[in-house]
Amino acid sequence: MERKIPLPMLVLAILGFCYLLFPILVVVLAGLTTGEFLTFPPKGLSLRWVISFLNSEKYLSAFFFSFKLALMTMVVSTILGTAAALFLARSRFVGRAALRAFFLSPVVLPGVVVGFALYAFFIASGMGISRTIWGLWIGHILYSTPYVIGTVGASLATFDVSLEEAARSLGASPMRAFRKITFPNIAQGIQAGSIFAFIVSFGQFEVSLFLSAPNSEPLPIAMYNSLRYKFEPDAAAAGIFAITLVIASVLLTNRLVNIRRLLERQDG
Amino acid sequence: MSYVEFSTISKHFGNSVAVADLDLQIEQGEFFSLLGPSGCGKSTTLRMLAGFVKPTTGTIHVNGRDVTALPPEARDIGIVFQNYAIFPHMTVFDNIAFGLVERKLPRGEIKQKVDAALAEVGMTGFEGRYERELSGGQKQRVALARVLVIEPEILLLDEPLSALDKKMREEMKFWIKNIQRSVGITTIYVTHDQSEALTMSDRIAVMDQGRVLQIGTPVEIYEQPASRFIAEFIGESNLLNGIVSAVDGAVCSIRIGNATVTGRLTQNNSVSQDQDVALLVRPEMIRLHALDADEQPKLTGTVSETIYQGSVVRYRIQIADQDLMVEIANRPDLPRLDMTDEVAVFWDAESGVVMP
Ligand SMILES: Nc1ncnc2c1ncn2[C@@H]1O[C@H](COP(=O)(O)OP(=O)(O)OP(=O)(O)O)[C@@H](O)[C@H]1O
Ligand SMILES: [Mg+2]
Repeated sequence: MERKIPLPMLVLAILGFCYLLFPILVVVLAGLTTGEFLTFPPKGLSLRWVISFLNSEKYLSAFFFSFKLALMTMVVSTILGTAAALFLARSRFVGRAALRAFFLSPVVLPGVVVGFALYAFFIASGMGISRTIWGLWIGHILYSTPYVIGTVGASLATFDVSLEEAARSLGASPMRAFRKITFPNIAQGIQAGSIFAFIVSFGQFEVSLFLSAPNSEPLPIAMYNSLRYKFEPDAAAAGIFAITLVIASVLLTNRLVNIRRLLERQDG
Repeated sequence: MSYVEFSTISKHFGNSVAVADLDLQIEQGEFFSLLGPSGCGKSTTLRMLAGFVKPTTGTIHVNGRDVTALPPEARDIGIVFQNYAIFPHMTVFDNIAFGLVERKLPRGEIKQKVDAALAEVGMTGFEGRYERELSGGQKQRVALARVLVIEPEILLLDEPLSALDKKMREEMKFWIKNIQRSVGITTIYVTHDQSEALTMSDRIAVMDQGRVLQIGTPVEIYEQPASRFIAEFIGESNLLNGIVSAVDGAVCSIRIGNATVTGRLTQNNSVSQDQDVALLVRPEMIRLHALDADEQPKLTGTVSETIYQGSVVRYRIQIADQDLMVEIANRPDLPRLDMTDEVAVFWDAESGVVMP
């Protein structure tokens, strides 16, 4: 069972992890400072700015706005992304690879470009949704759906289509076969994709910058706007809550997934 | 009308033709095999009958009903896949119950039928297991039980033995045949293994490149193959090149080197005087004698290789510039030959088949 990892690799891996985790540590510690300003290392530790965040109308409403937006985005992205992944996996036609690349393009294009393009489109088309939650929602869906397509596509790649065919010839309609056979077998991919969509939407900045309305800003925009004028640690405190939310949702998914595995093993 | 009828069925995938102008009639209760090399269109044929693939042209009738346009769930056909396709997230019980649940049977009846099916395939006690906890042979049994429990009109098997090891394969061959016989279900079996097809089938259709080359009983296919391709694909064969020296109805005289031997024409084949032909003789149909025997030999050769295999001894015989494989039962009353022995080569007139 024990696998020996060569020492240089181990050192590199640890350094890599530290490099990735250090900014998070900076934010968390900066948010716990007693000082007046956003500094690192912090001047002493206290919950002063955490409490200030919890009492700040501006940050709390931004936090819950982001939360609501991320949930809404998650629902639509999960449905659209799963449908698109199924279509890409099941149909055979020329240009399928191109369509796949097109679906995934929002992730590869710079967010600024996607945000600006949508903004310009909403204005030019006169739909009246520029700088409203609806326009913002559409932008976030566009940006999160590729993650769902990716994870669901990966689980469909290992899903054996003959399972579905077996169900069909045993008398199941296409819908029944999907619900009873395909869905349970790709559920983990869908779950992972929806959590990705949630996190991506919650942390989205560039698209939000162009599309959010001044009176209802998502958390990253609120933090950015606040930090532009005063360098106060409550932005970092808001960061702590954002990080906690993301970690909690990841842990929760892991738990759900593992519990299911565990149940299956014990049944057998 | 036969129980299953394919009428001028063809299937094109883009520019490539997977199945071309297929006509098949399969009788009720028959064990019918589709036999052919990889990529010849066997699975496509089966999948058209199951409803997973739409034919490009033609119609399929089952029990007098046109099923060509029906979706799989409306066809009442059971299929066992090469990889068994056991639902991995369900127990053996739920797998077998699946078709019954879809038919909305009451729970008590489902339990009773699943138990009976488990008993029939010898898997009682395994109902709580998952796919990953089953061996290949056990998956096979579950897959078959899952299909038989819904009592379909037709059973389709797509290379069901190819994932098993040799010993299991031998065992399951007879087991499947026995179950099929006792249930009496019309069965279509896809394989590229000629020994499976010969052992199990009532009739075999030999396919190549999307076309049926010959349909017949195992005996007909083996002993009267319609072409060199079939002769070489089914069993081991010697094809000796020769020239037709006389034709008398279905009996031909063939000159091989200095010797003249007889063979017969099969199927609709015809030949003419002085035509180059091949003469098919199966290795086990040939007899050898040491050259000093009393008989006047027509054909003589030299032993160039001897292969001892226990129950049989195989000899490679050099006849002029051609090779002949001969298989002789290992019995004390039959001569044992050595390398470089000169031998006389015989076979019964009906054992030689002339191939144009
Ligand atoms: N969905 C498909 N799209 C395109 N071509 C296909 C498709 N299915 C089968 N073919 C082609 O049709 C031909 C026949 O395939 P089929 O699977 O019926 O062969 P087979 O006789 O079952 O072979 P094997 O013994 O390897 O399973 C092959 O050339 C194959 O590449
Ligand atoms: Mg096949």
